[in-house]
Amino acid sequence: MIGETLKGHLDLLLLAILAEGPAHGYAVIDSLRSRSSGLFDLPEGTVYPALHRLESQGLLRSRWQNDAPRRRRVYELTLKGQQALAKRQAEWRKFSKAVDATARI
Amino acid sequence: MKEQNIRSYLRKLERALWLRGLSDIDTLAEIESHLREATERGLLNGLDQAAAEKEAIKRFGSVRVVTSTFMKERISLMQKILLAVAVVAGLFFAYVDSRPTWDDTGITVGVILLTSGLLALIGFQRPWLLALAIGLWLPLYEILTTHAYASFVALIIAFIGAYGGWIVRLGIRKTFHTA
Repeated sequence: MIGETLKGHLDLLLLAILAEGPAHGYAVIDSLRSRSSGLFDLPEGTVYPALHRLESQGLLRSRWQNDAPRRRRVYELTLKGQQALAKRQAEWRKFSKAVDATARI
Repeated sequence: MKEQNIRSYLRKLERALWLRGLSDIDTLAEIESHLREATERGLLNGLDQAAAEKEAIKRFGSVRVVTSTFMKERISLMQKILLAVAVVAGLFFAYVDSRPTWDDTGITVGVILLTSGLLALIGFQRPWLLALAIGLWLPLYEILTTHAYASFVALIIAFIGAYGGWIVRLGIRKTFHTA
């Protein structure tokens, strides 16, 4: 249930994590899990297709980092990605406020 | 989950992605890097190598789940445009071939082969779909109107072109990647 709900908001979460600095896929997934106290625990392999899509949309860019113990693909937010994140955060605030008000939370 | 070590999991994933025209050297390298890192984490947590790899694979998701997620995510705008071009081209070839004044099967075959090959080379990621989009209309029309089943050759030619172009593209990418 959480998994299905999460999929609809995955872009926002991935962009928000990468807004704090470049990171490779494993670190992004780790951050997603730890920040949500384990609630956002998707199959890890399903996050990479979303990262690739965000990159193809120009919201992220990636580069291979060879200086780490292991070769890693590191993602970072583009300017377009920063703008998309700001827009999605505003939409989420509006949506969340409306749900809170309607459901009397 | 049957895939219990990273090497066999990656082999199965590569095959599953390849069959759907989604195989990509960078993606597989990235997934391997992830699984190795997750395995190291498992070893640090006291698991042995086999158990750590098994846990890393379990957390990553089954080949089926990962492949289907890649399929859903890769239907990009570019892919939709290329698919539309393929459908229009396929319909156009069927129309031209159906004209009573047109009697040059060699040209039709050549154009279907070239178009499907070129679109696959440009970047259409699912050759089977590309082949159907280009090569299905002509035999469909012929079979419905004249029951000429031999026109199915057009579909076979489209498959040859699409997979040919796709294999060349993979070869170019591989050469570029290893250079």
